[in-house]
Amino acid sequence: MYDNYSGALYGVVLRVVRNEDIAQEVLQDAFLKIWDRIASYDEIKGRLFTWMLHLTRNLAIDRTRSKEMNKNRKTDDLANLVHKVENQEKFEMTVDALGMREVIERLPAEQKFVIEHLYLKGYTQSELADEFQIPLGTVKTRTRLALKELRTILKED
Amino acid sequence: MNLQEYIASGILEAYALGELTEAERKAVELNTKQYPELFEELKRIEETNETILLNLAVQPNALLKTKLTTAISPDGKTILLNSSSSIWKYAVAASVAVTLGMGYLAYDYRAKWKNSEVTLNNLIAQNRLVAQDYNRVHLKLDRIENDLKIIDNPDFKKIVMTGTSNAPQALASVYWNNQTKEVFLSVQNLRALSNENQYQLWAIVNGKPVDAGVFDGTTAGLIKMKTADKEATTFAVTIEPKGGSTSPTLQTMQVAGNVGKG
Repeated sequence: MYDNYSGALYGVVLRVVRNEDIAQEVLQDAFLKIWDRIASYDEIKGRLFTWMLHLTRNLAIDRTRSKEMNKNRKTDDLANLVHKVENQEKFEMTVDALGMREVIERLPAEQKFVIEHLYLKGYTQSELADEFQIPLGTVKTRTRLALKELRTILKED
Repeated sequence: MNLQEYIASGILEAYALGELTEAERKAVELNTKQYPELFEELKRIEETNETILLNLAVQPNALLKTKLTTAISPDGKTILLNSSSSIWKYAVAASVAVTLGMGYLAYDYRAKWKNSEVTLNNLIAQNRLVAQDYNRVHLKLDRIENDLKIIDNPDFKKIVMTGTSNAPQALASVYWNNQTKEVFLSVQNLRALSNENQYQLWAIVNGKPVDAGVFDGTTAGLIKMKTADKEATTFAVTIEPKGGSTSPTLQTMQVAGNVGKG
């Protein structure tokens, strides 16, 4: 289970918290929780991965809202920003994702924008809606169309 | 309920991505339980989401797995026994086995890593020592170069002060520029003093001793002293209480030398 999913979940956490040390901590907490609660997972509800993703992603988002991270964000100055941009590149490129990026490139612009922010930049749908002033309903329908399109493309490949 | 509208709203995608609140999530789960069409659609969406995220995976540090193994192995057994699903028993057992194997590899890796860390620290420490030595030599060289400039400068007169009857072996020299009045002192041989005393240099100007500064006998190289008026005819060194005196204690005179004519 760890071998199959730790990479995918770590990718999610890392894109949300943007700090490798914190991401490792969050992932560790997440797996401990998964162990703890695996008995409560119910196959009827959906796939195991989705269940693990919910748990892990919530921990990551909670962490960004904690005091510690807020403090980190406040001390971001210009020098850090450069470093941050570099890191951002690293996070997005160390993944075995070049193929995936090409696939995303093929989406229509509006859908590509949504997918890039949700999957590559660690945004939530509501953050995306707030920051770019798109109605949340629109973000949701665009996500749906994009995923439908991606499903078709991925099947072709 | 209009299922097509429900699907088109994108709520199932939001569910798969983990965007929903606990209450919204429960509502979706109730609906998918009730309508097989929704359940099938959600499954397709979850599969796509999973494929994308697996493709975007980033491998965490291998040590994390070791940490997790140690954290869960005591409890792992209880989960194993209490679990109701046999598939899960098997999955947990397999995970534990794989984890233990990986744990050894991680341990081995950590040992090697630690080892190279020690080597690196040693190298860093050595490098620091070499750098300190270099700085020390560099400072010394700077000082010698400065001293040499004064000794080489024809404007500076060298006055050798030889030992008096108090200290026949004593020897010291003064380099004196009678235009700028600068005075430098070089100690060749003066005995060590107790902490209460210091040497004091005097310039004899118009027959009167004038203070030219105090010094410890141990300093190597040239020592910059106070200026001496160009009328000075003799330089002498006495032993005085620490900090110097206003007039010399003649009984303690160690060395003296006259300024040569011309």
